[in-house]
Amino acid sequence: MGFFGKLFKGPEIDMEKSNANAKKMRVLFNQTVEDGDNYRLIFGYTEDVSRFNYGFVHGSKTKIGNLIVGWNEASQTIVVVPTVPDLSGCGDPAYYCRSEILKAYRNKYPTDAFVIYPDKKGYIGINAYDWLEDEKLFVYVSQAEELTAFTDFFMNRFAAK
Amino acid sequence: MPIGEISAFLLVLVIVFVFGNLWFHFVETMLQWLKKRFSHHKEPPTWHPLPQDEDNTRDI
Repeated sequence: MGFFGKLFKGPEIDMEKSNANAKKMRVLFNQTVEDGDNYRLIFGYTEDVSRFNYGFVHGSKTKIGNLIVGWNEASQTIVVVPTVPDLSGCGDPAYYCRSEILKAYRNKYPTDAFVIYPDKKGYIGINAYDWLEDEKLFVYVSQAEELTAFTDFFMNRFAAK
Repeated sequence: MPIGEISAFLLVLVIVFVFGNLWFHFVETMLQWLKKRFSHHKEPPTWHPLPQDEDNTRDI
């Protein structure tokens, strides 16, 4: 392929790096979640947007939280484990079992996030894409197939009103 | 418009931009300091590091 062919083809996914990160995600997930192998995994993230007004300077700040999202078809459970873009560690898991949550739906605006309300007090909005290039902000992993499977599970077997 | 006026206008924009940034970071630092000073001490969340000797060769 010539120079211009490469230029117009757009960014290419480094599958070696993606596969290595997918394995790290699995290791982290399995070490914090019991029977972790019973869950399929995708990478997701949360966005916390807050507005500020410091006199003549005002605008908005966005905080990104990286997540390893596992789902189990049989138990209709989604498990969310917070992590960091380099996958050097993870936090404690949060469990969202369909029979225990208040509601779950896919958002339309401003983002098509997967939203889960475990109760009336709070919610979690999980954004997920097949691949995000920015390694400083997001986990570098290609997951088109997993994302399709997760979307199907969420929309058809997990979403609740 | 003469080049001098354009340069002066751009310089004003740069000064406003730099001062705005400095002001933003100053206020952010003050707010962080106040939060730390007056909020109750919270335990940091549990963190599980990625094991170095873990067999990372298993498939997802």
